[in-house]
Amino acid sequence: MDFDDTPDEAAYRTRVRALLAEHAADLVHLDAGEEASDAGHQEPALRRTQRVLAEAGLIGVSWAREHGGQGGTPAQQAIVDQELTRARVPTLINHIGLGMCGPTVVAHGTPEQHERYLARLLRAEDVWCQLFSEPASGSDLAALRTTAVREGDEWVVNGQKVWTTLAHVADHGILLTRTDGNRPKHAGLTMFIVDMHAPGVTVRPLKQLGGQSDFNEVFFDDVHIPDSDRLGEPGEGWRVALTTLLNERVAVGGRGNDLGLSIESLAGLAAERVPQLPAERQVLARQALGRAAVAALANRYTGYRRYTAISRGGLPGPEAGAGKLAGTAAARLVADAGVRLLGDDAVYSRGPDGDDGRWQRNQAWLPGIAIAGGTNEVLRNIIGERVLGLPPEPREDKTAPFNAGSRS
Amino acid sequence: VNFELDDDQRAAAAGARAFFTGSASAADARRALDGAPVAPGRAALAGIGFLGITVPEAAGGAGSSVLDLAVVAEQAGAVLAGPSLGTAARAAVLLADHPDLLAALADGSTAFAVLDGAGPAIDAAGADIFLALEDGALVLGPGEVSTGIPMDATRGLGSVRLTSRRVLAEDAGARWARARSVAQVVLAAEDLGAAGRAVQLGVEYAKVRTAFGRPIGVEQLRSLVWWAAWAVDAAPEELPLAAAAASAFAAETLERAAETCIQVHGGIGFTWEHDAHLYWRRAKVDRLLLGDEAEQLDTVAGLVLAGGLAR
Repeated sequence: MDFDDTPDEAAYRTRVRALLAEHAADLVHLDAGEEASDAGHQEPALRRTQRVLAEAGLIGVSWAREHGGQGGTPAQQAIVDQELTRARVPTLINHIGLGMCGPTVVAHGTPEQHERYLARLLRAEDVWCQLFSEPASGSDLAALRTTAVREGDEWVVNGQKVWTTLAHVADHGILLTRTDGNRPKHAGLTMFIVDMHAPGVTVRPLKQLGGQSDFNEVFFDDVHIPDSDRLGEPGEGWRVALTTLLNERVAVGGRGNDLGLSIESLAGLAAERVPQLPAERQVLARQALGRAAVAALANRYTGYRRYTAISRGGLPGPEAGAGKLAGTAAARLVADAGVRLLGDDAVYSRGPDGDDGRWQRNQAWLPGIAIAGGTNEVLRNIIGERVLGLPPEPREDKTAPFNAGSRS
Repeated sequence: VNFELDDDQRAAAAGARAFFTGSASAADARRALDGAPVAPGRAALAGIGFLGITVPEAAGGAGSSVLDLAVVAEQAGAVLAGPSLGTAARAAVLLADHPDLLAALADGSTAFAVLDGAGPAIDAAGADIFLALEDGALVLGPGEVSTGIPMDATRGLGSVRLTSRRVLAEDAGARWARARSVAQVVLAAEDLGAAGRAVQLGVEYAKVRTAFGRPIGVEQLRSLVWWAAWAVDAAPEELPLAAAAASAFAAETLERAAETCIQVHGGIGFTWEHDAHLYWRRAKVDRLLLGDEAEQLDTVAGLVLAGGLAR
């Protein structure tokens, strides 16, 4: 057991730092007080940032070379992630593509699809989104109703998706559809790659709880998709989607990374604010700080363990859901302790006297993170059934034809 | 970065599991409440070498790391074994300059317990001699033990008044703090084993689907225990933060696992005959030992405010 870089890792880290310094002028950097999740508004600059990083060999580090990656190790990918954070480079614009769509195309795509899509994805020449949830099927994803009907060499898609992050800037999406309503709901699904600029695709931004618009509703009206953009076999869509969802749960907290503001940010705020509190309030503030720090550390070190497992060739399994649960729980403790330390400013989205509002924004962002990639309730069910081996509840909807109507 | 046990440690865990499942059980913990001796007991632990895991080889121990010990302690906790390996580990740190006493610790010929002021001390019942910190000095001496009706008899709790003492070391504050952190880590490792077993009991019983997602906490606790145990020998500057974090998280995790285990069982889980209450007892006691959760959280906060989140 060793938490320090090996000599190889240390040398790699030095090289990454040098590259980030060398290209600093061509990269977007966060302002003081700005958080990684705040920077979604500068699309062209963010696309250029990812392209520059890709050309420097810092994108898709652990992807195979045949897919346009660097053929590096998961440890090297983690080092790049850490150094990007350290250099205050914001979240990569194609994070959905890199974290979820790309690995799905790698796992289930044809050689032609690999050739056509992956290199452009890595360079953010195409930004990707993930078209899964619908108004009537979020947690019960397999009940989705968007249809794809085969017509010769094409499929014609009709329906609506919702909560689609980045759809308003995306060039491609992976799209889960129902292609056979006479089969049980999980068996009648098929995945496609869809051109977001195709006729019949309409994107409407949704304003979120916190006031920002990162996600959208997307309408499909007679959208034609060539059969060559089908991802996996017809009826295999659920299996393809599971690849995406597993990667999503790793991306959202499963790596032990901080979600939202870090415990270090909270430590900085607390060092400034706690001494100003009356003694009896200091006791309470220190309890809240301690509780948040313990949860964040537990999450961080669990991430190291999962990362060690993955770097030895393990795959993210259903237990990644536990990492997401714990990560969001820790993030909420950090966020709440931070907001409470603001005193009177905590009742405003941004206080009147120099408050930058980042703790309030963080607070308003976390409810969405707790839902994305599976709500806590869905994840607990998955853990119960697939990790603990508890018997599933009897579900007629898993075996009856979808069109027969058991859609609960 | 490599955050995984090595093959030797995994083998040690398997060996420890075999030993503890054959020599202690929740049923023993139940009998101990009626006055039976704690299982497996000091002699058996000494016989297999577990009291000397961190004692140097020159003094008859194995000279191994606290992480090696934590792996064994998890298996001890799973069957509610006693006396605590945390007591031996703590004494081993305190007695580092006294090879004769270390040898007596490792071979089980002397039963040591460590006192925290006048408060309840782990494994005081049945101890021959006590270690204490008095005016900054490490002292050793016999004492009078007074004890209440035990909630968890495997912990051997009692308050001790020393009847005589000799000074082993002056200015022993730093060593004392390190020893206490080590004990917190090993106790947290025992709680990890107990919490894992409580979850297992609940899962085995659950015939209907339930949102019994508690291994989340257990796996998080495992990360903190391993980190803290590793830090003892490899990164001592991280030990106070890691030990306090592991201790606080252990208290909460075992308590929740044990409470949920009873709840999942329903009425049978509330009976004397069922094992659930023995884990519940361990939880209700351990959460208060070597500093309660409020104390650990305050320690963590103090270290964080002082810039302790270095890594």
